[in-house]
Parts: sequence; structure tokens; C-alpha cells
Amino acid sequence: MTTDSTCWNFKLLAQHDLQGFGGMGEGMSISLTKDGRRIIWLAHESAPKNFTGVDVTDPRKPQVVVQTDLPEAYMRSNSLEVSGDIMAVAYQTQKKGQKHAGFELFDISNPEKPRSISFTDCSGPNSRGVHQLWFCDGEYVHMAAGSDDFESTHPLDDQFYRCFDVRNPSKPVEAGRWWMPGTRVGDSAPPPKRLASRDMGFRAHNTNVYKERPDRLYLGYIDGGMFILDIADKANPKPISHWNNAPPYGGFMHTVLPLFKRNLLVITDESTVDAAKDWPKLIWVVDARDEQNLLPIATCPLPPVDAYASRGGRFGAHNIHENPSSPTAWQSDEIIFGTFFNGGLRAYDLTNPFQPKEVAAFVPPPPKGTPVGAVQLNDVFVDERKIVYTVDRHTGGLYILETDF
Amino acid sequence: MQQLFPSPNAGAFGRRQTRERGARIPVTVLTGFLGSGKTTLLKRFLEMPEGYGTAVVVNEFGAVGIDDALLRSSADQTMLLGNGCLCCTTRTDLQNTLRQLVVERERGQIPDFRRVVIETSGLADPSPILQTFATDRALGELFHVETVITCADAVTGPDTLDWSAEARKQAILADLLVITKTDLADDTKSAALSEKLRALNPRAAIERAVAGDLDPALLTGAVAPTQDRSLFVAETAHSDGIGSFVMTWDKPLLWIAFARTMETLIALRGSDLLRAKGFLHIDGALGPVLVQFVQHLAHPPVELDRWPDDQRGSRLVLITRHIAEDTVRNLFAAIAALPRP
Repeated sequence: MTTDSTCWNFKLLAQHDLQGFGGMGEGMSISLTKDGRRIIWLAHESAPKNFTGVDVTDPRKPQVVVQTDLPEAYMRSNSLEVSGDIMAVAYQTQKKGQKHAGFELFDISNPEKPRSISFTDCSGPNSRGVHQLWFCDGEYVHMAAGSDDFESTHPLDDQFYRCFDVRNPSKPVEAGRWWMPGTRVGDSAPPPKRLASRDMGFRAHNTNVYKERPDRLYLGYIDGGMFILDIADKANPKPISHWNNAPPYGGFMHTVLPLFKRNLLVITDESTVDAAKDWPKLIWVVDARDEQNLLPIATCPLPPVDAYASRGGRFGAHNIHENPSSPTAWQSDEIIFGTFFNGGLRAYDLTNPFQPKEVAAFVPPPPKGTPVGAVQLNDVFVDERKIVYTVDRHTGGLYILETDF
Repeated sequence: MQQLFPSPNAGAFGRRQTRERGARIPVTVLTGFLGSGKTTLLKRFLEMPEGYGTAVVVNEFGAVGIDDALLRSSADQTMLLGNGCLCCTTRTDLQNTLRQLVVERERGQIPDFRRVVIETSGLADPSPILQTFATDRALGELFHVETVITCADAVTGPDTLDWSAEARKQAILADLLVITKTDLADDTKSAALSEKLRALNPRAAIERAVAGDLDPALLTGAVAPTQDRSLFVAETAHSDGIGSFVMTWDKPLLWIAFARTMETLIALRGSDLLRAKGFLHIDGALGPVLVQFVQHLAHPPVELDRWPDDQRGSRLVLITRHIAEDTVRNLFAAIAALPRP
């Protein structure tokens, strides 16, 4: 007998299919309303839905309070972040040159009726707009974005780091940008050498900035690896260090999470190919005592690839809970929560960073209607109550869990 | 090496845990003499909602696994160790079986399980099983023995305890004693058995079960037995030279002094230190520190992230053979009196 569901040291409190639109992206953030409710905001992975707000005040009884539509079918939101009563939502189009590429700010003080404050256009002949954004301080939105004035040396290298000052949210102003040398036409540096294994592009992914170090950007750059940038002067970001595991690994570096109290970085790859054909995609633990000399010291153990590869969809690392500097986010320098598509949600104890230990796993059964035959857990967020939220990429919607370890 | 990256939330004993087992898989060791009703008890447990997700490891002495056949219908996963007594040659089998369970669960080859019950052969001395979890580092990180339950039947139990050293050992090492078949024995016999068990193991609560009917939470160690163990703290001695006693301290203990004392005790008399369990108030620790010793072996201490209530203080239960309580007390006192390094 075989089984494809696991619930170890987690307790499932609720699942919500989000009214039949349960294909979720990698934007998860929580706001608190003035009347004491707790709303989790979720970006959809693809059209037609833009974002959904779910009342999770009682995590056992999640209730959708709002679900919005995108203006076009050829685009997706994918990423969002909340700071206070303002939510920033990313918009990425399928092809370059399409309109609605950019990001939008909403006033979510009345969660039933989010009100658009501004839309910032990032469209252009060479731009697909914004794939990911980061917004924790209420002042700056950091993002992986294209721009109408940016022509990349390779078609896959269209998104780079951009920062917008949104202190006046009705009129965001670009404060700075940075791209990997050689990826823009006109750069003096030569274009980077493409990965032979699978070329996924040299472009920005996650753009994390924390209140502990507002002068540092922790930047995942897909096939370009990762960078730490000095952004004390936002108009002139300066690279401090660079680390890449590809080659020989398969590229697509995604997220860089600093554990400030321990001088460690937790870095994720993303699996982007079904049936684990791009295995191994891992969570790396990196010694960052000297931020100019980053050294990988461990990876988080994955379940056996041959047990998961054929279950359907992707298998491998993707998003982790990123300790965002927000009062509604759980913070930990020891426990890492990560999603692994059909490998589910897993928690690791990094007390000994040389030997990360898996302490909990949640692999739900294939959600109803999934086109790939298995769950594809895509993102995870943990609130300050240590309630864990994770989403499926296709149909499963939102899963809410308690930890039991 | 890990001190290169000190963790602000970890203490001297690693990450503070919300419970002693941390993230490890809980194990119930179910022991008891032949025919004492272990299988009936287990079968009832597996039929209850609390028994869902239990992997059963059955240790049979003899060629035919009768108990396994009885259990397979209701257990999610039953592993049979067919080659005799767990405490003797088949400890490796137990180790391999437990590892195999984890690997197969991870691979999706067996249903997810949340708990393991090891049903020992009636002839087994449970202490080597407990030792296994302390000696096998990989197993110790995966599994945690939460409770040891010993069944004794009211009909033959009193006699068995008289003639069998193994049966006495099983009773002495138990966290919970279960008197079975009370419907088949008269009250005098049940009372006699209860008295004998109490004399052997004054710390463990004694419960009665007819036809395997027992609060399932007792089998998982999820609730403390109804009797207050502290009422029965007393030095006991048996014909086997086995005794148990409890040491308590009101003031916080220095870890270095406690550890040194136990190291000395283990070095000199480890084979006679059958089991020790401590709930300690260690100087500098935020929560209680839980320690366990089985003969020469010490489990890694676990610090909890909080005290369960306002009570503070340390408590160490020792089960020893031919070691007098005074000897241990004097050792603690002598080492505590040494100048601090």
C-alpha cells in the first residue's frame, strides 16, 4: 500500500478552496483591521483572479471577505505585500509590450472594499512588468521588475531590481535600480554565460530588505545566483557579495533570507520543471559571518526524489517563510518553513546549522480538480501566533495549520 | 561547531522544546508477562480514535507470530520481529525495523503514522529496549520513549512475580502498571497483585483493565495516571537487590555538578543504574531540564521552554541494583561541595 499524504507535527486546522479559484502564487501577507479582524491577503498564481482577502481571525473558520479580478486574462499578480493599511500588488504580463505591467497600491483599511491608490506603469517593449515585490516599511517597495527603458542583452534577462519610494502612495517615484552587469544592452561587462543545463535567465527574483539592516538588499537572481547589495544610497546600490551554486547545480536561485542574530543566510532554489527533472532544488544554509565571503555549510534534507518525482507536478524547494519585518509575522532564527510543491510543507530546525533537521512535514492529498495529480504547495507564511498558512499552486487554495513540535 | 552560530533562543541544551519528545516520534513500550493481556489492551487501543496512526512493532518469542496475526486487522502498520526476545539477540532487528518504518513512511510506502507501540515478548527485559534509544544516536534523534506500560494479570500475576525475575524487572521499570483480567480473579487475588506491584514499583500508578478497556490517553502518556506518584515515594528493596528512590532539591542545581555526579555514578556503577529520570531546575536554564539515564547511557538532556506551573525544584527518580540511597546522596553532596571551577 502506498500513500501520498503526510501530516507530521502539524495539525491541519482548515482548508479553503477560495471559491473555486485555489491556484495561488507567492504573495501572502496579513493585515489587522481596526475592528480587530485578521485578514490574510493572497496573490493568485494566474488570471482571472487578482487577489483574495481571507478573514483568519479564527484560523479554524477562514472566510473570504473579498476576491478581485485582474483587468486582463494575459497577466497575473503572483506577489503582494502589506504594510499597515497599504497593500502593494505586482502585475506581470505574459508577453513583453502588454499593458497593465507594473504594480498597484491599495488602501485595505476596509478589507471588503480595497481602494486603488495608484498604479505604477512598468510596461514597455522589453518589459513584462513586476514578478515579485517586497514592502515592509511603508516607505519603499523593492521589486523584480522590467522597465520601458531597459533592453536586456538576452530576452530572458528582462527583470532586474527596482526600488520605488511610496511615501506618497498616490505618486510612487523610482528611488533606485540595479542589474547584474552584462545583462543590459550597453553594459561594459560581457553578458553572463548561459547555463548549459537549463537557461532560466539572469534576472531578479526576491528582493528582501529588513528593518535590522535597512542598508542591505538580499537579492535572488535566478541563474545569476544571489547578491548582497549595499543600498544605504538607494540611488546607487553597490554589490557587496555574490554567490552562485550554478553550475554545477541547476540555477534558479529564488530567495535569500538573512538570520541576522546568527550570521547565517538561508537561500532557496526554485524547482520549475515537472517530475523533478531539475532535481535537486534545495534550501541552502550559508555562513555569512563575513558578508563578503559567503560559504555554504549545509542543505536542508529533502525526502527521497524517487518517491516524489512521479507523483505529479514539481518537486523541490521554492518559497520559505521570510521573517518579514511586520508585527503580524512570526520571526525565527532557528526554524525554517519551506514549501516543496508535491513535497509539501516542511519545517527545519537550524539550531545546529551544519545539520538542519526536519521537524515537521505536511503533504496533503491531491486537491480536488488539480491538473497535475498532486499537491503543489507554493508558498508559506507564519503569523506571530505561529499559525502556518500555505497555498497550493493549482486548485487547493489555502491550508491553515498549527505546529505541534 | 554550532557555537560558531549561537542561537539566541537556544540554551545550553539546544533549542528549548515545548515538550520532552520535541519533534521525535513517540514510542510506547508495552510489556508484561506471557498471557498478561498486552495484545488485548493494544487491540482495543488501536480500535479507538486515539489509536489511529499507530505503527505496531511486535516482538514474538517463537516461530509463529500469533500476536501479529491478531493485530494486523486493526493496526495501520504492524512489523513483526520474529526471532525471539527483543532484549537478547534481536536488538538490531528492532533498530532496523524502526529505521525502516521511518524510511518507508517518507517514501510513501506505508501509511503515515504518528506513534509507535513496541509490544515486547513476555520474556523480555525492557531495559535493553530503553538502552537502544540511548545508544543508537540516529534512533534517539527520531524516537522518544514516552511511556513504559507493564501488564500483569490478576489470575497468575502474583505467582509469576514470585518466580520470574524478568516479570519483576518489567514491573520495576514501568511508568504505568495495568492489572488485567480482574473479572476472572477474585478481589483477594487482585489486591494481592496490587500490593506486590506497589512494593516493586511505588512510583508507577496502577490501573485496572477488563478486556483491554483502558483510557487510551494512558497508553500514549498524554495524561498522567490518576494516582499521584509522589505519594508513593519510598525506598524499596527487593530480593533482586533492586531498589528505587527519589531525590529532590529545592534550590537550582549547577549543571556541571549534577553532570559530574551522574558521570561518576555511571563510571563506577553504571550496570547497576537501571533507570533514572530527572525533572531538574538547573541554574541558568529558563525551563525544566529533563534527563534520562539507562545503565551506562545518558540521553541528551532536553530543556523545556517553560515551567508547567509556579512550582520549582528538582526531582530525580533512580532505580538501582545494590546501590543504597545514601551512597548516591553522599556522592551528590560530595561533588556539590567541591569548589566551582
